[in-house]
Amino acid sequence: MKNKKRIKTLLIYLIMLFFTVITIGPFIFTLLISLKGAQEGIFTTVLPQDPTLSNYVDAFRGANFGAFLLNTAIATGLAVPLNILFCSLAAYPLARMDFRGKTLALTVIISTMAVPFQLFMAPLFQLTGDLGLRNSYLGLIVLQVGTAFGIFLVRQAYLTIPKALEESAYIDGANIFQVWFRVVLPMIKPTLITLGIYTFTFTWGDYLWPLLNTTNSDMYTLSIGLAQLSQSFSGANMKLISAASLMTTIPSIFIFIWLQRYFVGTTSGAVKG
Amino acid sequence: MGKYLKSIMLLLSLALLMALAACGNGETEDVEGDTDEEEADEEELSGDITFWTASLSGDPFDGYFDELKEEFEDMHPEVSVTIQDTPQNEMEQRVLTSLTSDDAPDVVNLNPHYMSNIASQGGLLPIGDYVSDDYQETYVEGALESGYYDGELHALPWYLTTTVSWYNQEHFESAGIEEVPTSMPEIHETATAISEETGNTSFFQIINDGNVIMEKMSTLAGDDYIVEDGTAVFNENEKIVEYFTTMQEMYDEGLISQENAEGGIGTAQELFMSEDISFLEGGITFLGAVESGAPSVYENSVAGDPLNDPDSPVNIAVMNLAVPANTDHPEAAVAFAEFVLNAENQLEFSKTAGTVLPSTVESLEDEFYTDPGDSPNATGMKAGAEALSTAEVLIPGTDNNSELRNLTHDAFVDTLIGNVDPQEALDQLAEDWNQSFSSEGIEISF
Repeated sequence: MKNKKRIKTLLIYLIMLFFTVITIGPFIFTLLISLKGAQEGIFTTVLPQDPTLSNYVDAFRGANFGAFLLNTAIATGLAVPLNILFCSLAAYPLARMDFRGKTLALTVIISTMAVPFQLFMAPLFQLTGDLGLRNSYLGLIVLQVGTAFGIFLVRQAYLTIPKALEESAYIDGANIFQVWFRVVLPMIKPTLITLGIYTFTFTWGDYLWPLLNTTNSDMYTLSIGLAQLSQSFSGANMKLISAASLMTTIPSIFIFIWLQRYFVGTTSGAVKG
Repeated sequence: MGKYLKSIMLLLSLALLMALAACGNGETEDVEGDTDEEEADEEELSGDITFWTASLSGDPFDGYFDELKEEFEDMHPEVSVTIQDTPQNEMEQRVLTSLTSDDAPDVVNLNPHYMSNIASQGGLLPIGDYVSDDYQETYVEGALESGYYDGELHALPWYLTTTVSWYNQEHFESAGIEEVPTSMPEIHETATAISEETGNTSFFQIINDGNVIMEKMSTLAGDDYIVEDGTAVFNENEKIVEYFTTMQEMYDEGLISQENAEGGIGTAQELFMSEDISFLEGGITFLGAVESGAPSVYENSVAGDPLNDPDSPVNIAVMNLAVPANTDHPEAAVAFAEFVLNAENQLEFSKTAGTVLPSTVESLEDEFYTDPGDSPNATGMKAGAEALSTAEVLIPGTDNNSELRNLTHDAFVDTLIGNVDPQEALDQLAEDWNQSFSSEGIEISF
């Protein structure tokens, strides 16, 4: 019986190890390539013979990474709180208030998720130009603020909260804004964190829209810098691209690790009666 | 009270965030076409010119373009030039989108496919009236042809590459191969000999989106057309059938890697760097990634003539400069394009870039091309410059060009991996091409 259990545990660990290798294998390979020196071949050996950080320095300088990193950080820093704010505001009446056309409004909002970006790219470009949002941080994040996905996600979270909690707050004299801000929002914190992570990831890696809406290359973001490096006309320098890719990805990983503890909150206590 | 203060502070912070967001550090004011400029003397060029380059950012290009801009602005004090770079793959989409507003560039760096597509939608200015016949004669003939769409000149040629062969000299020597093959049977024999020696696959056929296969078919056809008056005839050409058949056989025999089905130049470069292939045809910029990714392989690399009959035409790949139709300053835009493209600046650009050819006859006479040295990249430039004598734009820009490329890509890959008989694949491909020409009403020969 004990042996059977050990074999089962071993099997589970082997499967987990297999999927871990598949998942982080490319990341490790990229890291190893990025550490290889100028005279070393990418495919000569797996491990770098004389590890160096020079590719990181070259990529940082060559791709104007400092400026692009700042633009990306500012855009993302704006998109996350603004998207959380607008989505949570827009979703509240859709979950809790009764008004004519509510179902239609929700249907229209959700159906926009099915429209490919390419279809409304040109009108959006015109609109942002008319609004003076070309080459601005708000212009960069216009697609990430008040997203249909976010509204839907937050609305679903609101629906899980017992109405009695809000009703008792009204009895205590709170107004609707106070109920929303002090009672409801704290209860959907894990959902808001999830939305924040999604917004962070999409804004950090957004490529086509920032490229289209930016006619001043000083406003380019990291993903555009990475594309410039990898599409170099004389052929891509894999070591530089690997270093640049990692520099682009690392902030997302840290943010995810930092915020993942909040995901625990979504399930803890769920089994209590 | 403290709670309310906290809420108010939070709202104020958000308002501040939004105000900050709308600022940005870019310039949103467009000063093009102001009244003063319109009233200025017509003889003197004026206006703000924006030039979009394609994947030419960072070192060593930034310095080159800064000098270019400064020099042109000194020559024309009323003109201000802004140079921005766009990743090449998104250039077409970006130009088309920008044309829907007032934010389009004035000069743009396009490949002929993008140029044809944008011109077909009326997005480019026909510039034949702006440039004299004498000026047009300063270009390599085949290169200038690439700027024509629907019989009108829409772009001027900038830098070029042509097809050459690249081979791993060490592998060639160990297999006892002394010359690059020039026919399908020779390619097959060479690949067999090398694979026996190295134990690896040895040949790679770059496919890309199908354009390379179309160009190869035209090269193999030589003086014969592959399309006559809108009817595909390549399926009756023995050399093209032999080409498809040989590729399938070599794949089947393990002389061509399974990864060849993907067919991108990046895959070819990776296989060449890892010494899993030994020879192929490619552009003269092919070694760019190899030089940094596998220095020892780079040192062993040599360029040779294309892998076909020396008298056959090879394709010339051109990067053009075009002027979008809604520019407010067409004269200044064309003048700037001409300035970028003059012999002196082209030579300087080619030296800066290292592995491209200029499109002006005068620049090509410089010893940088006639006697470039014996480094691997230099052998490529020399072979490319020599190939220019038989180089031309083999596939004209037609409205259905993208469809033809896709059809050819799929047919070639299906043949390569053995899904279909080569002759049947070519017959079907010819039928598909004919249908495309017929539905578009195109009656062209090439």
